[in-house]
Amino acid sequence: MKLKNASAAFALLGASALVLTGCAAAPEAEPTASETETSAAPTLDYLACAVSDEGSWNDKSFNESVYDGLMKAQTELGVQVAEAESNSAEDFAPNLQAMVDQACDITFAVGFNLVADVNAAAAANPEVQFVTIDGWSEGNANLKPVTYAMNQSSYLAGYLAAAYSTTKVVGTYGGLQIPAVTDFMDGFYYGAMAYAAETGTDVKVVGWDAKAQAGQFIGNFTPNSGESKAIAAALINDGADVIFPVGGDQFGAVSEAIKEAGVEAVMIGVDKDIALTSPEYASMVLTSAEKRMTNAVYDIIADLSAGGTFSGDAYVGTLANGGTGLSPLYEFESKVSDEVKARLAELEAGIISGEIDPLK
Amino acid sequence: MSEKDERFSQAIKEILSGGFTRTILAVFLGFLVGAIFMIGSNKEFLESLGYFFSRPGDAFAAAWNVVSAGYGALIKGAIYNADADTLEKALRPITETLRLGAPLIAAGLGIGLAFRVGLFNIGGTGQLIFGMIFATWIATRVELPFVIHTIVAMAAGILGATLLGALVGYLKARTGAHEVILTIMLNYIALSFFTFLMRDPNLLQASDSVGNPKADPPAETAMLGKLFGDAYALHWGLVISLAAVILYWWLMERSTIGFRLRMVGFNPDAAKTAGISVNRTYIIAMGLSAAFVGVAAGNQALGVDIGVSPSTHANIGFDAITVALLGGSSAPGILLAGLLFGAFKAGAPSMQVIGISPEVLGIVQGAIVLFIAAPPLIRAIFRLPKPQTTNALGAISAKLFRKGGAK
Repeated sequence: MKLKNASAAFALLGASALVLTGCAAAPEAEPTASETETSAAPTLDYLACAVSDEGSWNDKSFNESVYDGLMKAQTELGVQVAEAESNSAEDFAPNLQAMVDQACDITFAVGFNLVADVNAAAAANPEVQFVTIDGWSEGNANLKPVTYAMNQSSYLAGYLAAAYSTTKVVGTYGGLQIPAVTDFMDGFYYGAMAYAAETGTDVKVVGWDAKAQAGQFIGNFTPNSGESKAIAAALINDGADVIFPVGGDQFGAVSEAIKEAGVEAVMIGVDKDIALTSPEYASMVLTSAEKRMTNAVYDIIADLSAGGTFSGDAYVGTLANGGTGLSPLYEFESKVSDEVKARLAELEAGIISGEIDPLK
Repeated sequence: MSEKDERFSQAIKEILSGGFTRTILAVFLGFLVGAIFMIGSNKEFLESLGYFFSRPGDAFAAAWNVVSAGYGALIKGAIYNADADTLEKALRPITETLRLGAPLIAAGLGIGLAFRVGLFNIGGTGQLIFGMIFATWIATRVELPFVIHTIVAMAAGILGATLLGALVGYLKARTGAHEVILTIMLNYIALSFFTFLMRDPNLLQASDSVGNPKADPPAETAMLGKLFGDAYALHWGLVISLAAVILYWWLMERSTIGFRLRMVGFNPDAAKTAGISVNRTYIIAMGLSAAFVGVAAGNQALGVDIGVSPSTHANIGFDAITVALLGGSSAPGILLAGLLFGAFKAGAPSMQVIGISPEVLGIVQGAIVLFIAAPPLIRAIFRLPKPQTTNALGAISAKLFRKGGAK
């Protein structure tokens, strides 16, 4: 009996909720002509698809950058989109196969880890077009590699970090020791070294030695893990007051480590403009080395959906074509001297013209 | 009512109150719960709720659309792709279900075996990883001729898993440590050890992996051959898993070891009094349990041509617990449950592509286990009769069997 009363009460509650919320008038079935003209987004018969690396689309890092490009293409170009997240390496091939079955016009495979699977999928489906981000093509004409010369913007970040640092110790660490990660760290290392050579000050880079290609790595890209925080704390302990964590979303871990150590340290963002996308960290983000995948993804979809021809040639994002670059300094604008800013602009021009090799 | 009718209705009652009916209903309820989540997270449905009373049809149509699209995609991805242009492509989903189901079946048998002895083997993941270490070492670092290489690598995988399982049994028998704690902790040790091995090129790391923890792909001679040519990824792992099902059935239902295992499972004290060494049985049970998991390990390590990595275990060790529970730890039950969960894995990408989170399938899985674990709940929902203690069904089938016999 008691149970019946309880369920009756729930039913009453549910019914009243329905009555309260469900009273609005139904929308008109047929929108008026003027409405269709203004509100309807353009629609294109073009299906753009993407498969994520391990981790979700909202990782505040490279998966999210690609996803944003896809969403931008959907709203601005009116293309159809489909996406699949991968939870483990076992999901890569089935997810790519699902895209082939879905008859995608183009499929983006996000991340270095998918390189074997996307090459296999491209070889098995020569009529389907693929793009690999951070990967390469093993002779497949229907697979376009999109890569970034991240050492260029990271070089600038390293120079800025060394100039900003008061301890003249800067730190960097990575998710995994793979080229897509160490490219950032190499540029950062040589940028900091360039500042040391120029000014004659002694600058130390902890966490990564570009010459020996050895350093600190979390071992995965899990956001803000305990390992990540421990490495950041160790770098701070070594005196670093600028930290460059190259492993997706590690900014929570680094900011915690900084706060717990009670020092005046800052971090440099990666992939996206972190001060803008994660304003909660803005007061601790000096700048970010952006990998502008959103633009590349959008541009590729825009070109192809408008009837452009697909080419398997690699797209390399550089300072010159705006594929990579440093974010604005925002709150740190006043804390960086004009000489340093001018020198950064010179360095950028030098890298673009080829006079400066960011890997030396 | 004649005596015969009464016996017949009693038999129906037994069927309705039995485990099989309950399992089917639990699966049905699981899908229902999944449907509710799909509807609840659907934008069109939520919008149509706002004007529910002026046009309720919209809400029902939206609900129906999302559920039929979701489960339709599951069927398209797991059984038959009606949109494919060739029959070969249309049949690919079902082969994927079989391929992904095979390791779940093998590992499910292992976990089920432990259940029958009254042990909880939560260490499927660790045992699977140990098996993969052994199998990968043979497959990438040893040169052997075709077929023999596969067999040796598979046997090594089973051995590796068995060793870790038997260690748990030994520690439990020797020190009284609880197997749940032991197996869970060994999962972490195994995973970290595996990652460690894959960080050194002298150990298991692939030469071209540039720092990534990843092993070489298995040598061509060691790979499990494709069953139906290169068009399908389905390989011999399925056949091995099916053989494991038959072996499991024989072992548990017909062999002396199985009898001892079950006896300890029913009542360890009685088994001890009857002269069975309970401690030794624990070691054997954990070893055998892990051996079946080792079959899944061989399947994972030798089934694909892109070297293993720390995530290759694909959570099979934990999914196998669900498979064993759903299958009631019986050979045919685990076979069917493994295929169902294999279908979930195969169908998840298709659901994702049309914008339905595949996590819904995780909810379905969880809900099924919940309903399985709560028989009174199922009985209350469907007003099933209480468990029957009579044996009218057995009597009828015995009679039918006699009639159909040579006599």
